[in-house]
Amino acid sequence: MNEPPPALSAANVGKSFGGTAALDDLSMSIAAGEVRALVGGNGSGKSTFIKVLSGYHKPEPGARILVGGSPLNTGDPASSRRVGARFVHQELGLVDDATVLDNLAVANGYPTLLGTVRGKAARRAAAATLARIGLDIDPSVKVGRLTAAEKTGVALARTLDGLDEGQIKLLTLDEPTATLPATEVRQVLQMVHTVAAQGIGVLYVTHRLDEIFQLGATVTILRNGRHVVDGSSQQLTRADLVRHLVGSELEDARDEADHTERVGSEIAFEVSHLQSGQLDDVSFSINRGEIVGISGVTGSGRESIVGTLFGRERPDSGEIRVGGRLIRGGRPGESIKHRVAFLPADRKRDSGLMDLTARENLTISSLREFWRVPLLLRRRERAETRDWFERLGIRPADGGELPLTGLSGGNQQKVLAAKWLRLHPTVLLLDEPTQGVDVAAKAEIHHQILTAASSDGAAVVVASTDIDELVAICHRILILRRGQVAAELTGTQMTIATVTEQTLISDGSGLHLMSEAKR
Amino acid sequence: MSSMRFRIRFGLDRFSGLYLWAVFIIMFTIWSPLFFTSSTLHSIASGQAVAGILTIGLLIPLVAGVFDLSVGATANVSAIAVIQLQTVHHLSIPLAIVLAIGLGALIGAVNGFFVVVLKINSFIATLAMGSVLAALLTIFTNNEQPLPPVSSTWTTLTEQSVGGFQIVFLYFLVIAIIAWWALEHTPAGRYLYAIGSNSEAARLSGVAVGKWIWISLISSGAVSAIAGVAFGSLLGPSLTFGESLLLPAFAAAFLGSTQLTPGRFNVWGSVIAIYVLATGIQGFQFVTGVQWLSDMFNGVALLAAVAFAGWRYRATANRRGPHRPSANADQVPTGPSPDETTPAESPPRATLTQSPSE
Repeated sequence: MNEPPPALSAANVGKSFGGTAALDDLSMSIAAGEVRALVGGNGSGKSTFIKVLSGYHKPEPGARILVGGSPLNTGDPASSRRVGARFVHQELGLVDDATVLDNLAVANGYPTLLGTVRGKAARRAAAATLARIGLDIDPSVKVGRLTAAEKTGVALARTLDGLDEGQIKLLTLDEPTATLPATEVRQVLQMVHTVAAQGIGVLYVTHRLDEIFQLGATVTILRNGRHVVDGSSQQLTRADLVRHLVGSELEDARDEADHTERVGSEIAFEVSHLQSGQLDDVSFSINRGEIVGISGVTGSGRESIVGTLFGRERPDSGEIRVGGRLIRGGRPGESIKHRVAFLPADRKRDSGLMDLTARENLTISSLREFWRVPLLLRRRERAETRDWFERLGIRPADGGELPLTGLSGGNQQKVLAAKWLRLHPTVLLLDEPTQGVDVAAKAEIHHQILTAASSDGAAVVVASTDIDELVAICHRILILRRGQVAAELTGTQMTIATVTEQTLISDGSGLHLMSEAKR
Repeated sequence: MSSMRFRIRFGLDRFSGLYLWAVFIIMFTIWSPLFFTSSTLHSIASGQAVAGILTIGLLIPLVAGVFDLSVGATANVSAIAVIQLQTVHHLSIPLAIVLAIGLGALIGAVNGFFVVVLKINSFIATLAMGSVLAALLTIFTNNEQPLPPVSSTWTTLTEQSVGGFQIVFLYFLVIAIIAWWALEHTPAGRYLYAIGSNSEAARLSGVAVGKWIWISLISSGAVSAIAGVAFGSLLGPSLTFGESLLLPAFAAAFLGSTQLTPGRFNVWGSVIAIYVLATGIQGFQFVTGVQWLSDMFNGVALLAAVAFAGWRYRATANRRGPHRPSANADQVPTGPSPDETTPAESPPRATLTQSPSE
């Protein structure tokens, strides 16, 4: 038998968005049956690369991509399917209320006789598909009753369902374990092995470095759209990975961290034994003027903690106190009255009144200030808006009456930040404050955060996946793992390498590796 | 890019209703010399007043993204109530009116309970409420139209002529002005617009979403009851008239949302829409004499308005869509995953078109 063609052979893949290169001349090859881990920070180009493979993005001319030896007609999702590339996204896209069988069949069709579903044949086919990935579950059980790992397995099986062995060349899994408990990760990794053993090339995107070693995978590390490392997990240590991930810019960013002096030492914000959703017994306190960063992988509680601190919903148990006064939770109006401000991560979903004007967004949380019976003082609102547009350099400078959608992402975020800054909060809670904004807007927002802490004495919480950002502006960084504060880094411990290391460790045994990384 | 926006915002589309109105007037005047007379003006102005009041009632919750499909039934209930209170219970006119309007507000409060407390989709809750009200009306009247009060004061209440217009037209204008003031110039109105734009963002900005939705439904109930009182006086008691106004009111509100401040439900846009539609209907009826025009006009207007709003929304979204900064292209999704704690359930929004999937 001949050597099968590689599952993926990609060369010279580039992709720019508005002049910025997201992918820069990337090349990668995956042999049939190989598992290759794709690792990289935010904005490193991982997702862009996957979207090129799936035909969602068309790369710059010159890219050559072969899947199982057949050329991929780039920018054409149908072609991506035809050559045998399949994808399991982080959002699995399963219907919880339907059975495993129906979830498989909805995507790939039922075996039918004269238009009627042949129930027995369908069940047999589903069971056979599940067996191919080594998943032993009853196809007639509802997906909602499965464990998270089993659900991932169903999504995986769905990509294989109805196809003969050999028709699928390349399977891409985008952070399949990001929200999984550690106990279930092993099961997913096992399924990945089973799939690879059938001669399918697997591209495995992950944030968890441990998994790379458990999979015995080859590794591609991306940074700024280029691959910086191509190697196998046998040759690399975890410290190598961390160093390559964060690059050498870390020392520069660290210099920025020596900023303005701190205002005071009295406690402004106090959380004790907070239990809510993902969070499991979280306690910490923040002084006036202190900026505390929160880092953690997806699923660690990082993505929900800031909202919970604000009192977005009532916590299951535990206390949140602002200047000694208890925040009950579930009453945003009350939190705001206690001068707590919350800038959510998802602008469109949680924060922006997208079709109202920038002015209306800016004043909504303190409208009473402009209310003199019988009229809202629009002139004063406009003056206030102009003032904040100028202060934060929001463009266009006269854009206060534009709907928020009319501004660029960075400027939208500045407006929404200004909405809270103008209230001079005592506690400023920020969730991914600079996600998806341009470099200039990012710098401005950072400057405003620092100012709020140093001149207003605000206690600031910043949760972010951007570790550079945390290291640059925070006095202290809390690492969340499985809903608990697993580590607290201050002073010289706050290097990008250490924070990255601590964030990515998924078991508790990372501390000795920290020194390795600092080497 | 901003110049482009301004062209779109202040271009033809903002005032398209007024242009269409002018076209109608010129067209029908040429077509039939009898059309352009002061009596046509007076009859159109006054004839639409009740529908106009009902439209304002509908508009208030619609601003917050909440449907009130029970406005027509509420108007019927209050029309019968205000008449029965006079004829059967021998109450004075003012007292009967106050009680009828109070009844409308009470119906709105019950709607609010279903929508805010029980979190039933407003579309469903108020549709059901409309049906329940129709049934109650049949029970209380034995399905017989009650006799109107004999007093002439009762009919002059709306028919009194003021400068050639029936006074009911003035009532409509006053209600429109109050609604405009409340929606555009008070914090209450701003909160409703914020809720309609993004209720979760409004909630996280400290807006008491439930309270304001409740208030908007109470207001729509009360204003609908005023419409009921008005037609009870103008046309006599009817078990069905209010409901026949529901679709025209929707057509006017949605068509109005494409006018003056496109993309936003607004009072004067709706007022313009009411009269553009009425002029078109009256004019065509004048020259052709056919009966189906009103239904056709209102139906087409509603479809066209909603389609236009959807098109406009997608056009805006597309203009922004592909120009995201590249930093966005490689973001780790950070929103809460579906199975973790979700924010408090927020009532559905009055979006009638599919938003573009991204």
